[in-house]
Amino acid sequence: MHDLVRLSGAISVHVIAGDLVGQESSAGTAPAQPGDQFPLAPFLVAACGVGMALAIGKLVEPLLGVETIDLIFLSAVLGVAIAYGLRPSIFASVLASLAYNFFFLPPIYTFTIASPTNVAAFVFFLVISVVGSNLAALVRSQMLTARSRARTTEALYSYARKIAGIATLDDLLWASLHQIAAMLKVDVVLLLPADGRLAMRAAWPPEDTLDDADMGAAKWSFENNKPAGRGADTLTGAKRLFLPIGTARGSIGVIGLTRPGGTPLLTPDERRLFYALADQTAIAIERIVLARDTDRARISAETERLRSVLLASLSHDLKTPLASITGAATALRQYDELYDPRQRRDLIGMIEAEAERLGRFVANLLDMAKLSSGSIELQREPTDVGEVVATALRRCSDVLQDRKVEVEIPADLPMLSLDPVLFEQILFNLLDNAARYSPPYSTVTIGAGAGPDGVAVRVVDEGPGIPNEELERVFERFHRLPRADRTSGTGLGLAIAKRFVEALGGSIIAGNRTDRSGTVMTITFPAALIMPYQRHPEALE
Amino acid sequence: MTKGISVLVVDDEPPIRRLLRTSLGAQDFDVLEAPDAASALARLPLDKPDVVLLDLTLPDQDGTEIIRRVRSAGDKTPIIVLSSRGDEKGKVEALDLGADDYVTKPFGMSELVARIRTALRHRVQVEGGEPIFQAGDITVDLTRRRVVRGGKEVKLSPKEYDILRLFVLHAGKVLTHRMIMQDVWGAAGDVQYLRIYVRQLRQKLERDPDRPSLILTETGVGYRLLDRN
Repeated sequence: MHDLVRLSGAISVHVIAGDLVGQESSAGTAPAQPGDQFPLAPFLVAACGVGMALAIGKLVEPLLGVETIDLIFLSAVLGVAIAYGLRPSIFASVLASLAYNFFFLPPIYTFTIASPTNVAAFVFFLVISVVGSNLAALVRSQMLTARSRARTTEALYSYARKIAGIATLDDLLWASLHQIAAMLKVDVVLLLPADGRLAMRAAWPPEDTLDDADMGAAKWSFENNKPAGRGADTLTGAKRLFLPIGTARGSIGVIGLTRPGGTPLLTPDERRLFYALADQTAIAIERIVLARDTDRARISAETERLRSVLLASLSHDLKTPLASITGAATALRQYDELYDPRQRRDLIGMIEAEAERLGRFVANLLDMAKLSSGSIELQREPTDVGEVVATALRRCSDVLQDRKVEVEIPADLPMLSLDPVLFEQILFNLLDNAARYSPPYSTVTIGAGAGPDGVAVRVVDEGPGIPNEELERVFERFHRLPRADRTSGTGLGLAIAKRFVEALGGSIIAGNRTDRSGTVMTITFPAALIMPYQRHPEALE
Repeated sequence: MTKGISVLVVDDEPPIRRLLRTSLGAQDFDVLEAPDAASALARLPLDKPDVVLLDLTLPDQDGTEIIRRVRSAGDKTPIIVLSSRGDEKGKVEALDLGADDYVTKPFGMSELVARIRTALRHRVQVEGGEPIFQAGDITVDLTRRRVVRGGKEVKLSPKEYDILRLFVLHAGKVLTHRMIMQDVWGAAGDVQYLRIYVRQLRQKLERDPDRPSLILTETGVGYRLLDRN
């Protein structure tokens, strides 16, 4: 190339490269690669082109005269320029002007030119042909650049589409680094801040440590939002070039690059490509981090809501019975002699009932805590549904005393593999709920039946039922139907029941009666929990 | 009739001890107290209480350790465990180690006194024992192997009778599944069979088999024949 520049003499020669030439003291930018092959074929083709122009010129000269011959040579030169670029076309220009002089300008077959007009013609030909080659070569080089940019844009576009579908940070980082490494043929490391410190998050090829010099360069680059390390202005002792990546919201990390074999890093085109990739990556990282933060915020808001509901519930459900108990006890202590036996019994009965309510609430809280901490240990044994229904009814006898209770359990109902204590608590909570949400003197029915899907246990009441939109929410913690008497439930009973049922391997749904108003709670235990058929016990005698 | 009966209360909670001291004391029990396992084990041979009320969660040792030590020393003093709901495993372990019964905290005082009386009666009964059990319209005559309900004889299968006999012998006391199966079947017991037999016994003896009032289920622990005495 230097020879060519020298050959072209006074004519200015432009080397076309990317937009970034001359900017930023070309940090990390490599000069043209020295090992390029000097291809011979274009020059041979250029020579042939000039030769053909010569032949055509000789053919048409008798018809058109010598004035048009230069245009034929010029066509050949421009053709070479468009096909092969600047160097072959300059070569063709020189060759063409020599041939034009030798074969056409009198005295012909010498390199001397007699007429001053022809000297002018020759000089203009040379100038036009060189300038023409230059322009044609420029067009070609722009076309090539455009084509290569189109390819890069396409690659970037498909990369952007690919990472848009990635949901986890680790997957994204892996895909990004892989892409950068493949497109730029470099080794890549990526560092992101974690807990206030910059730390290595991913690398391609896999790598997990940075030496102190690299770490220092990475930190400097991140903190100052400028390149650092090898080939940059700062901390050039590092093995890698570190470039900050970020979005409009600020810098979010640093990418470090190195090329195997220690060759210089990044031509301007490559650098532009790198930033295009890094921007996409930065935006995607930010998207994922934002999504994660939003999730966290939502979870913490939900926790916050539960906590405040729990506090409200605690203060109500603990304080009210305590106030009644304390009041009744102090009244009895101070004014004992003023009360008649009936009033005294009333106060004592109140202490008992309120203490029981307190006990139930605490038991619910304990069950909930056990569920939350996952410390429920199942003691499965063959369980007779009817038997557990009976014990649950016995425990519920106080709340159910004004209700008619009907038990509909077939005598041949198979036993189930359940934890009877947990199952009893489930039934207790459902019966308790049925009693609280149905009017006095109504009927509460508890039934069971076996079907192909397993065994279903139903608790049915004659209360107002549950609005359809509330059917699922009744199993949420601290959910109380709006009309419920504040003093009745704790808002925990059904939530516990549901989670106990699920712990036992069953499911529970709330529904409404179709024959009249009323709630139907249906527990279903899958057939897998049915105990194998037992022979009639008398056979064991 | 409780005059002179001494009760050792082993519980680390002062309010519980105070409650038992006051309420049992009002019924003429002599109430002795121990706040932990060490002092309980020290007092037992000296005071020779008639019955022990034992909390299972003590600061120094597990309450079951006291049961083990007392029973392995051949001491048959009735032990009633004070336990909490949800600790069915602990109850069963205590009963199988030789505790006589349990009450679940929070308990009613009438329930506790009934348990103490039952335990004391059974200690006396070890020597003699009443051969006839009666509850409602049911009469069980162990010497003649006869069960009568409302004046009519009830036909029981041999296994049903064996189980009922065991219940009657321990009327009012809880029996774990293991105790019953051990006694009726030997080693080859199966809870499922036991439940089927109990279901059949209820069909024959209970007024409302769906809501039994004679043979009660102690969920996760065993059965108890309700004692009307």
